[in-house]
Amino acid sequence: MLLALAWRNLWRRPQRTVLSLASIALVSALLICMLSFQFSVYATMLQTTLRIFDGYAQLQPPGYADDPGLERAIDDPARLARSAGAIDGVTVAAPRINAFAILANGERSYGAAVIGVDPSAERRVSTLPGLVAQGRYLRPSDVDGAVLGAILASNLQVRVGEKVTVLGSGSDGSVAADVLRVVGIYRSGVPELDRSIVEMPFARAKETFAMDGRASTIAIGGPDLESVDRALPALTALARSQGVVVRSWGDLQPALRDGIALKYATSMMFYLTLVVVVAFIILNTLLMSVLERTREFGMLLAVGMRPGQIGAMVWLELLILAVSGCAIGMLVGGGVTLWLQHVGVVIAGMEDLLAQFGLPSRLYPALTPLSALIGPGAILAAIALGGFVPFSRVARLTPAVAMRAA
Amino acid sequence: MRTACLVAILVLGPAAGAKAAPDADTLLRQVYENYRADSSQSTVTMTVHRKAWERRFELRAWTRGDDDALVRFTAPAKDAGNATLKLKNDTWVFNPRLNQVIKLPASMLSQSWMGSDFSYNDLAKSEDIIRLYTHRVVATEQAAGHTVWTVEATPRPGAPVVWGKVRLKVRDDHVIAEELYFDQDMKPVRRMQTDRVAPLGGRPYPVMMTMYPLDIPGQWTRVETTDGRFNVGAPAYLFTLSNLQNPRP
Repeated sequence: MLLALAWRNLWRRPQRTVLSLASIALVSALLICMLSFQFSVYATMLQTTLRIFDGYAQLQPPGYADDPGLERAIDDPARLARSAGAIDGVTVAAPRINAFAILANGERSYGAAVIGVDPSAERRVSTLPGLVAQGRYLRPSDVDGAVLGAILASNLQVRVGEKVTVLGSGSDGSVAADVLRVVGIYRSGVPELDRSIVEMPFARAKETFAMDGRASTIAIGGPDLESVDRALPALTALARSQGVVVRSWGDLQPALRDGIALKYATSMMFYLTLVVVVAFIILNTLLMSVLERTREFGMLLAVGMRPGQIGAMVWLELLILAVSGCAIGMLVGGGVTLWLQHVGVVIAGMEDLLAQFGLPSRLYPALTPLSALIGPGAILAAIALGGFVPFSRVARLTPAVAMRAA
Repeated sequence: MRTACLVAILVLGPAAGAKAAPDADTLLRQVYENYRADSSQSTVTMTVHRKAWERRFELRAWTRGDDDALVRFTAPAKDAGNATLKLKNDTWVFNPRLNQVIKLPASMLSQSWMGSDFSYNDLAKSEDIIRLYTHRVVATEQAAGHTVWTVEATPRPGAPVVWGKVRLKVRDDHVIAEELYFDQDMKPVRRMQTDRVAPLGGRPYPVMMTMYPLDIPGQWTRVETTDGRFNVGAPAYLFTLSNLQNPRP
């Protein structure tokens, strides 16, 4: 009965109701579009960045993050990698030797990170192998091959097929010296990588840097970042039993994590403002209508309706408004998002910036239950909560006073 | 005559009691002069101590003036033949296995030298402490029959330096007793300590010194100079790239 009353009351002022509905729907739709876009762009950015080299997580010796030296190493990395690879959500675990050395070609020499990798595992954990622009990536049969970044190669003036000298320190303090043959040059578009990362076969790096069967880190890969994030507790348990530590993506790329957190924080302020503004507009409208209808409420009280019931009726009006507004918003917002998901969005002039993060120039939002529900949910909650104001006002009315109101 | 007396009193006056604190710049100059003279040849044992292992290197070192130095490793067999040459601001290394001379890029100078607690910078920028820092005597004490001055070296404004501050203890016989290195945040990061002073090549010399990185307990590098000769002249061919690669006997 109250529902019917509330519904009828709403449509006594159709213009006002339609306007209220439109503002709720517009803001819900906007929130859905923006959140879907933001979630998906950040997820793409993260995955792309992590996939290039770091991996979705890493196993490291304790203290390695603060002081990454060769003397900090993982014993029996092959066995640990097998155990890690068997964890649900992890598809590959790639042991690496991370050394720092001088690379030289004739008169030219530059410092670089020399990474000993298992070519077949590396292909599944990192996208670097696919970014080789000249020559080819390492093969399991390679003995003395090396793949280096385009900037480093041009600094050293070395081409595919030529030799490059490596000089550094082994884990036992001895001199590590080697001559490698450049089999490929990659171009990741990330200057730090293209300038400073050289990959060589794990077996050769083990000899050169006197690693004695040990590895510096184990990079973890999975079908996507979420799966590996879900596998973190299992990885942590495994790591603890083996005396190593797990570093999540946020630990590996703290600047990226903080950047995204900051972006979310600032966008959330904006979203919150939108929600609060729309909630106030709706409440304001309803409060006006309540004031207008004081005489009517007095009448209802006089014919025997309890104040609580009238309050509930007003609250119901508000809820009907909010629910139907949000529903329309979800339809419109979801529809637009799905359409954009199909055709993509190009932000003009942003291509260079996006390329720095390894992103394509055409971005695609992704409609997920979270991105579809979070905005409308917040609006609904804000309006429902705000409805207490007219409710408490109506509940305090007495018939005699209310009837005499203008 | 009277003026001369007055000057003498003014200059020598404060010397009553302990020795007067000398001019800090002069003091450090004298320390370097004592340490490497116009030229020097020395034989050194370097012990690199780590938690898991310890290595002993033997090496021969030659210096010429303030700028040039050549270090050649003679043992252990695995590392023998490796050599480092420093001329003015450039540093080259020679590796016998590669049979190649490699010029060190500036970005590598802060890396460890032969796996020790010294960096290439210690070799390449050893004179920085005199040239790029201002010096001040901050304390005087007596130890083991010597007056020991504490000299604080702070970088000249805008100077391209490695350290935020260096605090040196210098004995009155111009032997360095201790060096404490501070980073740019003025946190002490490593300490070099003289363990033994003995006559060497006709001068008091810090024959055993140990470098401790303060952030890694249980790790150190010790250099013991077993033989040293000073001001005997150094043939010019020593400090050349060709000699670095193909040493004359």
